Amino acid sequence: MSAELGDILRDLIGKDRLPALAISANGFAFDPRSGQSFTVNHTGIDTVELLLANGSIEATVDELSKRYDVPVDVVLGGVEVFIRQLSRYLA
Amino acid sequence: MKHLSCIKPDWRNWTVGITGVNARPDNPGPGLAVARCLRESVGFSGRLIGLGYEVLDPGLYNAAIFDASYLLPYPSVGSEGQWERLVEIHATERLDVIIPCLDAELSTFAHNEAQFASQGIRMLVPTLGQLRARAKDNLGELCRRLDLDTPETLKVSDIGFFDRCREEGWSFPLVVKGIYYDATVVESPDEAKSAFHHIAAQWGYPVLVQQFVGGYEVNLTAVGDGKGNMLGPVMMRKRALTNKGKAWAGISIRDDELERMGRIIMEGLNWQGPLEVEALRGDDGRLYLIEINPRFPAWVYLTKGVGCNLPQLLLRQIAGEHPTGLPSPKPGTLFIRYAEELITSLEQFQAMMVDGVLIAPGEKNAPRNLIGRS
Repeated sequence: MSAELGDILRDLIGKDRLPALAISANGFAFDPRSGQSFTVNHTGIDTVELLLANGSIEATVDELSKRYDVPVDVVLGGVEVFIRQLSRYLA
Repeated sequence: MKHLSCIKPDWRNWTVGITGVNARPDNPGPGLAVARCLRESVGFSGRLIGLGYEVLDPGLYNAAIFDASYLLPYPSVGSEGQWERLVEIHATERLDVIIPCLDAELSTFAHNEAQFASQGIRMLVPTLGQLRARAKDNLGELCRRLDLDTPETLKVSDIGFFDRCREEGWSFPLVVKGIYYDATVVESPDEAKSAFHHIAAQWGYPVLVQQFVGGYEVNLTAVGDGKGNMLGPVMMRKRALTNKGKAWAGISIRDDELERMGRIIMEGLNWQGPLEVEALRGDDGRLYLIEINPRFPAWVYLTKGVGCNLPQLLLRQIAGEHPTGLPSPKPGTLFIRYAEELITSLEQFQAMMVDGVLIAPGEKNAPRNLIGRS
């Protein structure tokens, strides 16, 4: 995992972009600053919740790996892509 | 003849004149939205008077909103013509307040403010100095003074500029803008020249050229108390546009940086009255000031939708209530604009055409069951 990815997550949390994101139970996400909305699937909802709770990519990946019984490296690839996509949506 | 003794302290009973009741779907004026906000204000039982410039301004015939409607002379007639016509209307209607809603008329209203006050007609509008400071061709200077980002802008009166602008450090796309209205994004010198001629023919010189900034537009509307304070800011992002770039749908947002920009402008100018800030969240993440409009925007009905009815707040401010502790608007409330037809009789059209006045019968403040009205 690159250090740059950690910086992206710190930025998303530190600038209140991710904590401010409103996500409903059915995956509808609304960014109150930009007015943009998008949808995330069930795994995405879990990932956002874990990232906010842990503030750590490693801990989030470990938890998702256990929860979904998927190898760590596969989860890490998915989480990396997801964080980069979030940073584009919440730019 | 003075009518100061007739000033009514309670804004709920006021007679309010509202301009800008034009409502073409691609670019509606704010007047009808302002009037709807007041008509739907809890407790408001006053009269609303529609003031239009064109005999086909639909607001003039909207009997569900306006108690009476009058034609005004065009702003180009000057402040004297405006004054005489409004004194005439005042003699019949006993106006307590006027809310001007169009850029082009603001300077004549500001010029006549003291005269109107002497007749008991109140307004909260920017001063002539404030209007000059926020003018499109002065925006760069204002932004330098207030330390706000704005795209580089230049006054242009020679179309040769577009052939040599690259050598002077400009790059396409550019935005060609009229001094009062209109803006076109252009990708080449030929497109720029065409836009230049079109805008100059419609709005005169100088024409403004602005460096295009990629990103998305955000807007803020609020009321300034004239002492540097900003009241009731409501923010919005456009979600659908007309071909004139006006909002056809929008959603309320909360952007702390945009709110800060609004406060800086209010404080820096001691702004009084309504305003709209148009800003651009650039692809580089920075917030650029694009325009300051000295009036409520056409999307002002959203302010009622988010529980922060700004036209009502304006009346309360004029009444001396100085409202505080206003609710914080909730992000995520949408408006979607739609067009509808008003049916009016030949007699009503004739009354407006010949006499420039139409009195609408019926009770306005009783509960109404109108489709599309909340």
